[in-house]
Amino acid sequence: MSKCAEVVIIGGGVIGCAAAYYLAKEGVSVIVLEKTDNIGNGASSRNGGGVRQSGRDPRELPLAMYGIRNLWPTLSEELGVNVEYHKEGNLRLGKTEHHMEILQGLTDRATACGLDVRMIDGKEVREINPYLSDEVIGASWCPTDGHANPLKTTLGFYKRARELGAKFYSGETVLEIKKIKGKARQVITDHDIYEGEHIILACGYESRAIAATVGIDIPMRKELIEALVTEAEPKMFAQMLGTADADFYGHQTEHGSFVFGGASGMEDVNKDNGMQATSSLTAPCICRGIMKYIPKLADAKIVRTWGGYEDICTDGVPVISKIDEVPGLIIACAFTGHGFGIAPTVGLLLSQLAMEKETVLDLSALRYDRFKAVI
Amino acid sequence: MKRYDLIIVGAGPSGLSAAVEAAKRGLKVVVFDENEKPGGQLFKQIHKFFGSKEHKAKIRGFKIGEELLNEANDTGVEVVLNATVIGLYQDKEIVVKIGDEVKHFKGDSIIVATGASENMVTFDGWTLPGVIGAGAAQTMMNLHGIKPGKKILMLGSGNVGLVVSFQLMQCGCEVVALVDAAPRIGGYGVHAAKVARTGVPFYLSHTIVKAEGEECVTGVTIAEVDDKFQFIPGTEKHFDVDTICVAVGLSPMSQLLKMAGCEMEDNPKKGGQVPICDQYGETSIKGIFVAGDVSGIEEASSAMIEGRIAGICASYYLGFIEKEELDKKYEELTNALEGLRQGMFAPKNRGKLIEKTEEGIDVSMNLLEKGYLTDEEVEKYPGVTHAKGIHPVMECSQNIPCNPCQDACPKHCIKIGKNITALPAVDESVECVGCGMCVASCSGQAIFLINENFEPGYATVTLPYEMLPLPKKGDKGMGLSRSGKEICEAEVVEVRTSPAFDHTNLLTIKVPADMVMKARFYKGKEQ
Amino acid sequence: MSEVNDRSRDIGPFVPAEDDDMIICRCEEITKGEIRKAVHEGMYTLNEVRRFLRTGMGLCQGQTCGKLVKSIIARELKVSPAEIEPATSRAPMRPIEMKIFAKEAKEVE
Repeated sequence: MSKCAEVVIIGGGVIGCAAAYYLAKEGVSVIVLEKTDNIGNGASSRNGGGVRQSGRDPRELPLAMYGIRNLWPTLSEELGVNVEYHKEGNLRLGKTEHHMEILQGLTDRATACGLDVRMIDGKEVREINPYLSDEVIGASWCPTDGHANPLKTTLGFYKRARELGAKFYSGETVLEIKKIKGKARQVITDHDIYEGEHIILACGYESRAIAATVGIDIPMRKELIEALVTEAEPKMFAQMLGTADADFYGHQTEHGSFVFGGASGMEDVNKDNGMQATSSLTAPCICRGIMKYIPKLADAKIVRTWGGYEDICTDGVPVISKIDEVPGLIIACAFTGHGFGIAPTVGLLLSQLAMEKETVLDLSALRYDRFKAVI
Repeated sequence: MKRYDLIIVGAGPSGLSAAVEAAKRGLKVVVFDENEKPGGQLFKQIHKFFGSKEHKAKIRGFKIGEELLNEANDTGVEVVLNATVIGLYQDKEIVVKIGDEVKHFKGDSIIVATGASENMVTFDGWTLPGVIGAGAAQTMMNLHGIKPGKKILMLGSGNVGLVVSFQLMQCGCEVVALVDAAPRIGGYGVHAAKVARTGVPFYLSHTIVKAEGEECVTGVTIAEVDDKFQFIPGTEKHFDVDTICVAVGLSPMSQLLKMAGCEMEDNPKKGGQVPICDQYGETSIKGIFVAGDVSGIEEASSAMIEGRIAGICASYYLGFIEKEELDKKYEELTNALEGLRQGMFAPKNRGKLIEKTEEGIDVSMNLLEKGYLTDEEVEKYPGVTHAKGIHPVMECSQNIPCNPCQDACPKHCIKIGKNITALPAVDESVECVGCGMCVASCSGQAIFLINENFEPGYATVTLPYEMLPLPKKGDKGMGLSRSGKEICEAEVVEVRTSPAFDHTNLLTIKVPADMVMKARFYKGKEQ
Repeated sequence: MSEVNDRSRDIGPFVPAEDDDMIICRCEEITKGEIRKAVHEGMYTLNEVRRFLRTGMGLCQGQTCGKLVKSIIARELKVSPAEIEPATSRAPMRPIEMKIFAKEAKEVE
C-alpha cells in the first residue's frame, strides 16, 4: 500500500508542523510522519520558548527578524490557538567584565545587521527588571525580542494544518528515503511506504541517519540538555532572559510559572537511558544559577524537570536547504538549540522551497554543502 | 556519595518487611519515607487483619506496624523519615530531600515500595471542600485524631469503603448511606454486614449526581444507574451531609520506576501502571526491585510478604546469601502469599460473580446487594446450627482465606480444616463453654454466641461490640436486625472485656426468644 | 499502526455534553469539555493534551487527574484506555523549593 501527497514531511516537530501548515494553507497536500506517539515530542516541546533576534549568528538573524516582523504577531489569530507570544524584550545578562565583552561582541554584530539592540548598565537593567540581583552589572537589551509557548505553538501549527487537510501519522519510524529514477520519491517506514513529489527532512539529530540513506551527511552532534518549570507565581516580569555565561535562560509564562533552561557544564557527556533522562546534578545547578540572578525565586517550587536533545551543527547554524544531488529532498535540521524562535519563518521558507517558489529570504548561507575542513 | 547495599523507598508494610529481611542477612540498608511516621498504611488500620497465623490474622493493623518497627530496629535498619525522594536517576542514584537540603545516595540495589494513591471520581461538585478520599478520612481519624465530618456519605463498597465506613462510625460520625455504582458490593460480605447491622443503608447501582453546597459540601444527591451506568431519571435521593468520602480504588504510585526507565505496563487488574517484573519482583533494570501496592494493588498482608521476598532477593542479588537459602525462603513465602490469594476475592476472581461457595451453597444475593444475609439464608451455612444452651453462630458465608476462629476455640468446636478458605463449621459433638474467644477472634465480626434457652421466653445473643460509649450491664435498648432495623427490646445482661479479646468487647443482650436468630446489634435508648 | 496514530481518522464531530463544565484537572482548572474538544482538535495522546491544555502540569503533576484524563481521551477516540500511553514521569516526585533543590549536602562520611 502506498500513501501519496505532494509533500511528505519527516518529523512532527515545530518545523515539520509549521511547514505542513504553510503548505496546507496554499492547498498543497501534505503527509507528516512522526516517529514517536506524540506530535512535537522532541526539542519542540522541551525548549525555553525564546523568540529572539539578539545573540544570533548573522547567517540566521534575518530569519528571526523576518518572523518577528511578519509572522509571530498574528500567529495566534492565524492558528486559532493562543501561542502566548509576548514581544517585551530580551535581556542578556552579564556579571563580569568578561561577560560584558561577550555581550558587546554579539551586540556589535547584530547592530551591523540592522537589529535594534544595545548595551545597558546594571541600573538600567534593574529599571527594566527590578527582580534582578546586584550581581548583574549590565546586559544587552533588545526590546523587540520576546517569548512564546513552544508547546502551544507546535500543537497550534499541527492543529491548524490538520484542519486544512494535512495528514499526520505518529508512531511511524522512517527507515529510508528512496530515490526513484534519480529523484527523492519514497519514504519507507516500519509500517508503510509514503510517496511525495518533495520530501522535507526535519527530525532533528535523527535527520542525519535518514539523510545518509541517500548519501548526504549533515555534520552535527547531539547534546542532552535540561530545563525545569516552577509552580505558578504572581506576575513578575515579561522579558525573556538569557546570560552571557549561558548558565540559564528562560521567562515567566502567561500561566505564571517560570520555565528555565540551564547547564551543568557536563552537557557534552550527559548520558541517557532512552528517556531523555535528566542528570541528578543539573537541576540543582540550574537552581543555583537562577537564584544568583533572581534571588526572589528561591521559594518558588519546582514541579518538573526534563531533558531534551539539541541537534548541534558543527558551525553553529542550521541547514535549511534543497539537496542538489537528491532532487526533491529538502533538509531542515541542526538548529543548534535555537530553532524555536525561527520556526514559523523556517516553516514558511520550507513551504516555498517545496512549492519551487522563490524564498522570501536568501538561504545560501544555510546550505548543506557549506562545510569544509580547516586546511 | 554515600553508598548503601540496599536503598528502600517507602517505610510502609512492604518496605519495612524488605528492610528487615535484608538487614538480617547483613546488608547495609536505608529506608526513606516522606512521612513523619513509619508504617505506611498499617498505622491507619485499626481493624483486625484476616488470614492465618503466619499472616498475623486477628491482630490489628497498627499492632502489626509496631511489631514490624521493632523488628526493623532490632535488625539495625536505618529509617530516615521526612525524607522525600525527588528522583531515581541513572546508576541507581536517589536524590532525597531531607530538611532544607537535598542529598545524593547510591544503592547497589533498590527496592521501590512507594505504595498507592487514591483514585478520584468526578461528579458535579467533586472539587468542593468536604469531598475527600476514604484513605484521607482514615488518616485524619486514626493518625491525627480528627473527625472528618459529622454526617458522611460513603461512595464505594470495596473493603476500603466498608472498613472506613465502620471506622467513621467508631469515631462518632454518622454514615448516612453507602453507595456504589456497581450492582454488587465489592468488599467482604462480613465487612458489609457489620456496617449494615448498625442501620447504614446500602445503595448499589447508585452513584453521586451532585455534591451540593457553595463553599463546602452541605448535601448530596444520588441516583440509580442502569447497566450502562447512566442515571435513571426520577430515582434521585437527597441526603444532608457535610462530607462525602470517596473509596473508588487505588492506583500504584509507580512514577519513580517510570522515571528510572523501568519497563512499565498498564494493567487494569493491578490497578494501573506497574513495572514489568519477574517472579522475584525485579524490574527490567537489574537490581531494582518492587514490592507492595506499587507493583499491583493488594492488601497490606500480601505487601508484607512481597516485601520479605524482595528483601531476600536483593540479598541474593548482592551475594549475601546462597541460592539454597533464596529458594527455600522464596518457596516458603510464595506459599504464604498464595494462601492469601485464595477464595472468592482472589486476584484471579476480581470482577467475577461467584454464585456458589466451595461447599456448593448459594452465595447470598441479598448480602451482595444490601449488605446482609436474610433470616432464611443464614440458616444454610455450616457455621449456623441450633442446639440447647450456649453455642456459636458463625455468619460467615463467603470463602475467604481466614481461620483464626478455628484456633480461638479452646474446646476445638470450630472446624475450618486444611483448606483455609473453607467456611467454618460447628462440631456439634463438642460442648461450647461460652468463653467468647471465637467472637473476639473473628476479624469480620461475624461470630455470635447464642443461648436459645436463657430464661423462659428469652434468649441471649453475645455480639462483638467496638463502639463507644460501651453499654453497661442493665442498660436497656433495642435489638437491631441484620439490616439495622429495631426489632425488639433488648437488655444488656453482660459486658465482657479482656486483654485476650484485644478491644473487641462482648456484649450479651437479652431478647425475646423468637428474636434470637434475628437480633444482631444493640442500640442504646436515645438520650 | 494503532488507530491512535492516524490523526486524520474520523472520530466524529465534537458534541457538547451536559457535564462539559466539570473540572477534571483541579490544579490547573481544566474542564472535561476542554479536554474533549482538544481531542477533536487532534490531541490524541495524554502528552499532547497536557501540553495543549496544561492538564496534569500543576502541583500534583497528574497524580489525581491522570487516570481521569486518560479515560476521557480514550472515550472520545473510542479506544480502550490501555491504548493511551500514560504521561512521562519526571523528577521531582514532589514539588520542591528552588533554594532546597539548589542546596546539595556536602559529603559527610
